[in-house]
Amino acid sequence: MSDRIKADTRLLPIVAIFVIAFGILARGNTNLIQAATFAAIDAVAAIGLSVLLGNVAQISLGQAGFFAIGAYTLGYVSTAVTWPAAIPQWAQFVLATVAGTVLAGVFGVILGFIALRFRGHYLAMATLAFGLLVVGVVRITPSLGGAGGLTSIPYPQFGSLSISGVAAYWYAWGMVAIVAVLTFNLLRGRMGRAFEAIRNDDLAAETVGVPTRRTKIAAFAYAGALAGFAGTFYAAFLGLIDPSEVGVDFSIVLLLMVVVGGAGGVTGAILGAAIIGITNVYGHDLENWRPVVYGLLVIIIAIRFPRGLIGLFASRRTSQQTPQSDPDSATTEPTPRQTLPSASDDRAWLRVEGVGKRFGGIVAVDDVTFDLKSGTLTSLIGPNGAGKTTLFNAICGVTRPTSGRITIDARDVTGWQPHRIAALGVGRSFQNARLFGDMTVLENVLVGAYRSETATLASDLLALPLSRRSGRAAVERAEEALRELDLTRIARVRASDLAFGDRRRVELARALAANPGLLLLDEPAAGLNASERERLRGDLVRLRARGMTLLLVEHDMRLVMSISDRVMVLEFGKLIADGPADVVRDDPRVVAAYLGTA
Amino acid sequence: MLQLVVAGLTVGSGYALVALGIHIILRSTRIINFAQGEFVILGGLLAYSVVTYLHANVWLGLLIATVGGFLIGLAYERFVLRVAARGGELTVTIVTIGTVYVLLYGHALVWGSLPQPLPYFSGGASDVAWHAFGFEISAQQVWVLGLLAVALGALALFFEGTAYGKAIRAAASSPVGAQLVGIDVDRARAISVAIAIALAAFGGTIVGPITLVGGAAGIAISIKGFVGAIVGGLDSPVGCAVGGLLVGVVEKLLEGRFGYGVSDPVIYGLLIATLLVRPQGIFGARRATRD
Repeated sequence: MSDRIKADTRLLPIVAIFVIAFGILARGNTNLIQAATFAAIDAVAAIGLSVLLGNVAQISLGQAGFFAIGAYTLGYVSTAVTWPAAIPQWAQFVLATVAGTVLAGVFGVILGFIALRFRGHYLAMATLAFGLLVVGVVRITPSLGGAGGLTSIPYPQFGSLSISGVAAYWYAWGMVAIVAVLTFNLLRGRMGRAFEAIRNDDLAAETVGVPTRRTKIAAFAYAGALAGFAGTFYAAFLGLIDPSEVGVDFSIVLLLMVVVGGAGGVTGAILGAAIIGITNVYGHDLENWRPVVYGLLVIIIAIRFPRGLIGLFASRRTSQQTPQSDPDSATTEPTPRQTLPSASDDRAWLRVEGVGKRFGGIVAVDDVTFDLKSGTLTSLIGPNGAGKTTLFNAICGVTRPTSGRITIDARDVTGWQPHRIAALGVGRSFQNARLFGDMTVLENVLVGAYRSETATLASDLLALPLSRRSGRAAVERAEEALRELDLTRIARVRASDLAFGDRRRVELARALAANPGLLLLDEPAAGLNASERERLRGDLVRLRARGMTLLLVEHDMRLVMSISDRVMVLEFGKLIADGPADVVRDDPRVVAAYLGTA
Repeated sequence: MLQLVVAGLTVGSGYALVALGIHIILRSTRIINFAQGEFVILGGLLAYSVVTYLHANVWLGLLIATVGGFLIGLAYERFVLRVAARGGELTVTIVTIGTVYVLLYGHALVWGSLPQPLPYFSGGASDVAWHAFGFEISAQQVWVLGLLAVALGALALFFEGTAYGKAIRAAASSPVGAQLVGIDVDRARAISVAIAIALAAFGGTIVGPITLVGGAAGIAISIKGFVGAIVGGLDSPVGCAVGGLLVGVVEKLLEGRFGYGVSDPVIYGLLIATLLVRPQGIFGARRATRD
């Protein structure tokens, strides 16, 4: 995450100086100023797509549709609406701009809802259809000018200043500046971390408490609003708007800008828009070739240089050696922490009642009932394929059980989304340690602190003190979790560079940062060496001592039998034994399940 | 009404072939080829060149377009799709969209941006038409439906009846398993893509005399083919063909009723609606998936 932000931090001031210098030096050259104005308009739309594509890994081939919504809203409002005489022309322009931007954002929300249903190609197809739908509707709507479009849209007029020529240049790049700052702030804050987590691992993000659906919708809305914002000024600057300008071609050109410049963050999109802008001025000799070259560029850059031009500036952080935390070093004394979510009295905190899950004709979990009391460590064992992970998934909301009820602290959470269950204090780890590979260890754990953060979308966008406080608190919390598991030394290492044992510990730290009352650990000892296992045992015992409820799926029987308060055995989806470790160990049915009946 | 249905079935034949091509490529490579419609245009233009510059018969044009489509498909798979697939799904999507752009404007560069006429399969410059039961059917419409049936039959025969066709299907449904029994999965994928592109080129040539060939309709054809595939069910070849025909009929009926320009937005809306309501399509089986 922060490598792109670093690139933005470094390059944005240079871009700003260049833009100001260009505006002063080229003010006499009408052609150049006009081309640069169009480049700025494109840049605003491209920044939105860049965030969507590069930061959230969602694609939209329908951005021209949002651009059209913005442009047509402004065009319609400034030509067909009769304004009261009291409202001056500049106010009309401002209102129309706001209306176009907001409307495009609303459509972004709608597209976001649609997009939630799909991934990859299907999403691309749905967004493509959306863009074409908008243009198709505009084309047959007489009040929007049909195929001819809207014409005679007046220049915005601020007093005696008409926003055209050089003034338009400054206005358009002013738009870019505002959008760049807002986006930069957004990506640096809580939402930016959520974006990055989703891009890396959607499911893991959801289970640590990031509301991935809402976050994706927000990203679509933001990208849509920016495209709409760009569209409003396009119509005002050009004085007209017609369907041929906002067809699928334009969506593809926006994609080209982002791919060329580098998706993710702000600067890449601006560079991409500027480069296409340059070809608009100097590319006339090869007019027919230009789009073919664009297409080839998209293909080649997407395959060969997936990070685009900006990738040349943003060096990917790599660690020379992969430092491992030292298993033998003394663990620090756990700092006193806030109280854990737990049952108010001695009643069961988690209750699983008659839960079943079938996939088609296969019964993975069959009528399982148990409850867990606060501050206990329970192990769930059973042969491979017994349904242990499926049961985990049902508890934390990743799959919806086909029957039964799951309650947490007397609240029925059956069918809740994972992030809401996480918010009640359920943390989990995955069999294969699902970290956010592109993020550092500290950033991974910061995502764990997501739901404790108080920053809001608005405070992030505007970089208000609330966001700074929230971010600082989150960092403190994350660092505390890292200290607790003795991972501070590797806090700045990229997660994908970690050794497996450390990956597991980081995943545990990420879960701890959310301060969970219940931890579901899926085979935490698998793949660990002897000293790492020993350390895990110490961690688990310490967490239990702090009042945390632990549920383990584990195959390491020595570990299971030595630390569990209680052992449950699952076979073919059914709970066949449940009790203290030594009792379960001698249960003939358990012996039969593991060794086969003699 | 019946008139419009027949006209719809004719353009729908093109969509059916696109839908089938999308289905075949998706099955074997897990890629949705957004450029499928551009290959329809390319096929028609190839046939146009053969007819115009070689003064050849339109049947030779059909043959060369189909074979050319097959070869282009092999190259497309080897040098574009296979390389892009390493970058993941987003990269593939971006790359096939880039291909749309290259072909769209590449066609205009080579053949000009205006659509060109292709001779009718019977009668050359003017089509033969019959009147019966109060409606008119032209020879070309008969040809299109007949050749569609031939193409579908050949495909079914190939994929169901020949060992090689079965091997390709095996490679598509379980690449690792297929590899274990000695099937060259890369080659199976290449052949699948080549067949799909050949189908597109074939479709472009048979429908070409009615719709003209060239121009900017490729992306719309891709989408309509995809709508057909989605409506019929992406995992069902029969569904894809039926879905494609259905889209053609809906398009013509809407055009006949409300005039040109209305059908496209309705069809795009239909796509979004189908994706939302019944993503597995009409013929697609609902699969139990772990989510």
